Amino acid sequence: MRDPDRDDLVMSFEDRLREWSRRSPNLPTSIARTRVLARLPEVSRPVPWLRLAAAAALVVVLVVAVWRGSPRPAGEVKGSIAWNCPPPLDRNIVVWQLDDRTTVYFALRPGEPDKGGVS
Amino acid sequence: MDVHETVLRVALVGVDTTTADLVRTALEGDRDAFGVLVESHWDRLVRLARSVVGDAEAEDVVQDSLVVAWTRLARLSDPQSFGPWVSRIVFRRCLRASRRQRGRVSLDAVPEPSRWCDPEVSVSAWQVLARLAPRQSAVLHLTAVEGMTDAEIARILGITPASVRAHRRRARAGVARIVRGGTS
Repeated sequence: MRDPDRDDLVMSFEDRLREWSRRSPNLPTSIARTRVLARLPEVSRPVPWLRLAAAAALVVVLVVAVWRGSPRPAGEVKGSIAWNCPPPLDRNIVVWQLDDRTTVYFALRPGEPDKGGVS
Repeated sequence: MDVHETVLRVALVGVDTTTADLVRTALEGDRDAFGVLVESHWDRLVRLARSVVGDAEAEDVVQDSLVVAWTRLARLSDPQSFGPWVSRIVFRRCLRASRRQRGRVSLDAVPEPSRWCDPEVSVSAWQVLARLAPRQSAVLHLTAVEGMTDAEIARILGITPASVRAHRRRARAGVARIVRGGTS
């Protein structure tokens, strides 16, 4: 099989290609420059990638903060005891909220020695 | 930077440094600096485009590519490599154009190689190049006309040097087949 890299016809074609490529463009350089410049959009400024990334990160942080700070739907506290919002009660009353339907109140009474003290 | 000062530095300092300076100045919105870049690369880019899409579309493709280059100039990480970078933009737009023109190029018969030196025979290299795949035409052009290394060609075409060698081998085999009178 002939090696196309050493083929005389190919070498001859490449000479022809060099000659063909040597021709000047139809549009002179100065006119090409004028035409290209006339088509350029207003300004080519560096894209502020770092600023865009920082702004995007800030938006994400804000969204997460707002989402975490918002009240959770009732279903989410099911099965756990809600301790964080006790109703205003007397200091001798203890409240256990077992779930969203069951709340147990314990009233502590000081003094009644004949009945065995605090129950 | 004043453009005339820049042009003067082309003569004094050398092309690479000046190209980088011009790119930096153009990045600040200086159209004249970009104009100097257009002038210094126009001929070379048109030659490349001609070998891939032919005379009819080459200059339009290069103009479009230079406008695209202006809008993407900020993405050029190394200002000194403006030449290969803009060549790559031209080549990609040539690929698009050649997909559009596929089937529309008239493939006239190629004259006998023995008659290529005859001044009355107007054999155009394009008659052969048009029968090759666009990448093969580009590799052949960048090798034979621009004298680039495989690594330089690979950078422009976005392929590996091994692929450049494979494309060149296929291109030369294709040329040999075409000029011997076969089909593509």
